[in-house]
Amino acid sequence: MVELILQTVVNAVYAASFMALIAVGLVLIFGVMGVINFAHGELYMLGAYTVVYLYADNELPFYLAVVVSLILLGLLGAVMERGLFRPMRGNPLGGLIVSIGLLLILQALVTMGFGVRMEHVPSPYQVPIALFGLESVSIPAQRLILIVAAVVLLGGLWIFLRRTRLGWAMRACAQDPEAAALQGISINQTARLAMCIGAALAGVAGALTAPLVRTFPYMGHSVIVAAFIVIIVGGIGSLEGAIIAAILYAFVHTFVTTFVDGVIADIVGLVLMMLVLVIRPTGLFGTKERA
Amino acid sequence: MSSRFLGRRIGRRQFLGTTVAGAALAATAVPRISYAAKTVKIGFLAPLTGEVAAWGLPGLYGCQIWAEQINAAGGINIAGEPHMVELVSYDNEYAPDKARTGAQKLIHEDGVKFIMMLGGDTWPAVQPVANQARMLVSTLLPSDLSPDTPFLIAPCEVHPIYNVTGVQWLAENKPDLKTAVMCAQDDSLGRPSVATYLAAFEAAGITMQDDPLFFDLSTTDFAPVVTKLLSSNPQILCLDTAYADYVHPIVEQAFLQGYKGQIISCTADFYEQLIDKTSKEFMEGFIFQFPDFDDAALNDPRVNFSDPNGFYTEYSKRWPGEWGAVSWEYASILDLWKAGVEASNSVDPAKVLAGMKAGGKGKHAFGEATWWGKDLFGIDNALVGDWPVVVIENGKAQIKEFKSIPAWWEKNGKTLIKHFEAMGEMYYQRG
Amino acid sequence: MHSGAASSRSLTWAVAGFVLLYAVLVALPHLISFSQKEILVFLMINVLLVVSYRLLTLTGEWSLGHVVIMGVGAYGSALYSKAVGIPVPLAMLLGACTAAAVAFVLSFPLFRMKGFYFLIGSFAAGEIIRLLWKRFREPFGGPKGLKLLPSFPDVQIGELTIAFFDPVTYYYLCLVVVSLSLLILYRLERSRVGLTFHAVHWQDRLAEAVGVNTWRYRTLAFVVASFFAGLAGALLAHYLTTINPNQFDVEQMVFVLIWVIVGGTATFYGPILGVVALTIVNEVVLRQMGVDQARPLIYGTILIATMLFLPSGLESLVPKLRTLFVRNTQKSTSAEARPGAELRTD
Repeated sequence: MVELILQTVVNAVYAASFMALIAVGLVLIFGVMGVINFAHGELYMLGAYTVVYLYADNELPFYLAVVVSLILLGLLGAVMERGLFRPMRGNPLGGLIVSIGLLLILQALVTMGFGVRMEHVPSPYQVPIALFGLESVSIPAQRLILIVAAVVLLGGLWIFLRRTRLGWAMRACAQDPEAAALQGISINQTARLAMCIGAALAGVAGALTAPLVRTFPYMGHSVIVAAFIVIIVGGIGSLEGAIIAAILYAFVHTFVTTFVDGVIADIVGLVLMMLVLVIRPTGLFGTKERA
Repeated sequence: MSSRFLGRRIGRRQFLGTTVAGAALAATAVPRISYAAKTVKIGFLAPLTGEVAAWGLPGLYGCQIWAEQINAAGGINIAGEPHMVELVSYDNEYAPDKARTGAQKLIHEDGVKFIMMLGGDTWPAVQPVANQARMLVSTLLPSDLSPDTPFLIAPCEVHPIYNVTGVQWLAENKPDLKTAVMCAQDDSLGRPSVATYLAAFEAAGITMQDDPLFFDLSTTDFAPVVTKLLSSNPQILCLDTAYADYVHPIVEQAFLQGYKGQIISCTADFYEQLIDKTSKEFMEGFIFQFPDFDDAALNDPRVNFSDPNGFYTEYSKRWPGEWGAVSWEYASILDLWKAGVEASNSVDPAKVLAGMKAGGKGKHAFGEATWWGKDLFGIDNALVGDWPVVVIENGKAQIKEFKSIPAWWEKNGKTLIKHFEAMGEMYYQRG
Repeated sequence: MHSGAASSRSLTWAVAGFVLLYAVLVALPHLISFSQKEILVFLMINVLLVVSYRLLTLTGEWSLGHVVIMGVGAYGSALYSKAVGIPVPLAMLLGACTAAAVAFVLSFPLFRMKGFYFLIGSFAAGEIIRLLWKRFREPFGGPKGLKLLPSFPDVQIGELTIAFFDPVTYYYLCLVVVSLSLLILYRLERSRVGLTFHAVHWQDRLAEAVGVNTWRYRTLAFVVASFFAGLAGALLAHYLTTINPNQFDVEQMVFVLIWVIVGGTATFYGPILGVVALTIVNEVVLRQMGVDQARPLIYGTILIATMLFLPSGLESLVPKLRTLFVRNTQKSTSAEARPGAELRTD
């Protein structure tokens, strides 16, 4: 029983890292740009397909494929900001619609280019690593890589936001765009940067999990729903909140799935979100209302 | 460190541009007809886009090859005149309202004489339309059959009943495996199949160590599921009719979490990739129900599929990486339909149905089979006979035996009904 | 005198316009193909759905649970008629009332949230309801849903039997029901209550200061909108004779949002324009082209293009068309200020 619990903890830590990468990206975009990026799951999906194309089909090294996906998705984020979200600034509903339009386009392009069936991405680092000195509690190296990457990237982001000028500018934009503009901060530049980072985080999550999960054109769908739950529970404006909520959600979901049922786990997640919304609508760590 | 890439996957990718054009071309499902001749139209009403498309679109591709081959050989002879076959497809997006609209279009505007469907959620909306028009419709899901719809047939896929053959073979050939666990996705494919496997295990004297573990369709991370499954140290891990897309992560997890026992599943599409992800030794002895169509055993005269090896080669050439269980099943239904047309010398749906069911027997893909189903579905509209048990040996899927479903039913039918009722899957319990 | 003549003239135009519109609507099913008749029935139902949604947005709330509420009406009507044996027309109304009741209960937790939080909260509530349908085979039928629902009963008038299985007949039934519903919704919006909805939306602090109970008005809008959404659901259920939880999921809700936003919400007819235009594009035009794989691609591109070039929605085209029309047919006299013009309830 103890081993079962430990293994479940290990599974949950992995799920939390994954969720954190996605949720933080989404919070960043929403916080700085005020836009609900419905296509965020598809950015994750594109990251996975970058690895499919470069690593699985063209046999380039795995780490190279991951780096390319980071850069590619970052660029796509910049394009999205300039082409789609900037014209929609001040029109959040319009922003919603264009992100849905982009979602449909991305899904269709991938379906046409790769087919509807699941992709096969061999795992380059499959070796299971036994933890706590126990044989039956292990984690495949591939998953460990994602955990490490999440810690590194999110830690780097934290330092960026707290210690650099650009980072301060982003936080200022998120808090009060008008005041930030008065201070001479370029909203356009900050928005673009936020979008780049958010997209890149999603892309890396996709790239690293491509060998681990069912990689198919509609894989973004389930991710986005869970991501919304997480950022609501964590609080809209708060990055730390997103990370903590990701951990909380991942642990609850993983434990309930293992000890009860996958469907019940989904219900529990939703009820948790409802409770937070009713009792403390700004989320566990949210500080400001961005309605 | 880096895995082997098998020959089958080389040349799989085409650049986006040509693929878009190719997909657009392939999606217009009209085979080339080179001279003016009488045509007979067949409708293909299934999901071609969206998450369930993997159960429809590959089937359409297979049918296109079938239609081209038939037309190249001169078409179908009806009352002395050759008729070219024309496929008309409609994407129902697995939605009942679009399925109904599609059925109306196919029947009243396109004038089709036969409609092939996936079935499932979309069938009940089409039912009144098809009934009123007395249109012959085929489904891949026998759970759609009921006494109210005499014109609906399930002539190929007898899911989930065929799953009993795998368990029976397992019990006969590995009698010291006595404990099992099972998982399944929570949907209309997963549930009846769970009932079937439970009955099959019971009939074989194998004990279930735990209740079947249902997981949601949107699950992508299977580590918790597998952890739970393996926690009771079972000898047999049953994957039920998990979609191929779930089989992969589940099997991979089982490997990574150190499972050393037997695995049995309904499907194992892309099993070479499973071997890549795990190991040849791990996958040795994996039991499932869908043969490779380049398996020489399919050239056996009992098999009623024309040139399975050639079909497979052609399919893989045109749509590399898209082969799956569904790719040949619709084409096999077309074979049966064609036989019914030739027997009744007409394309009238009622007459064709009578032609197909003449003598209570039919030429199922895997051999002579009986029209069966009254006890489970209320009507004898499922064509049930033998079904192959496939085992992976030395990295290749081999048909080990064709087992008889009716024979299993003779002995264990009551057990199956018991489990179906417990799951609420009997035809009189549905809806 | 001058304005009286002008307004009676514009009244005549309006009446003539409606008569023409209804003549077209009545004749329409006989002019189109079989499958298009089916699309027309579903379109009618969706028109009711989007206009009911717009009522909700008048108070400034955007819900992501509206399609689930439609499902509550569908499931309610289905169960009342099939399990309890209530005649279908009455079951439909009861289904709509059930939807309204569920909305009322939900308003307690949900209206504590505003804006984005209400959006997500309504989504969560909707998903919980949907998961209940999926989990409980008794009485909801589980993931496969319900089937073999009774359809609208045939009507005998002397020798003539009107069968509602036929799409044309059902379309006329929907036309009557939806027209009445739209009339009610329109009158509600134009009434004092409707004006208060606007006030609650734009000036809620001010409204509260003058003693308006904003919570009560929000709830009223929510409940009424849900009633009509439930009615739309009931109409759908008894036409298809089957319903399942997947028909009421987030994807469908996203389509409603698309129809409403692309059409525009400033006017009553905006969402109607949206749903009609986009349905024709998606179901008729794109299907004719025979490129099923590329359909979502083209649809997505159209969405983006519409938002970029017509950010106020399709309804913003109407005044432009009208000025063209007016300029060509009559010289416009002095601009008349109509009461409530700034609200553009048109």
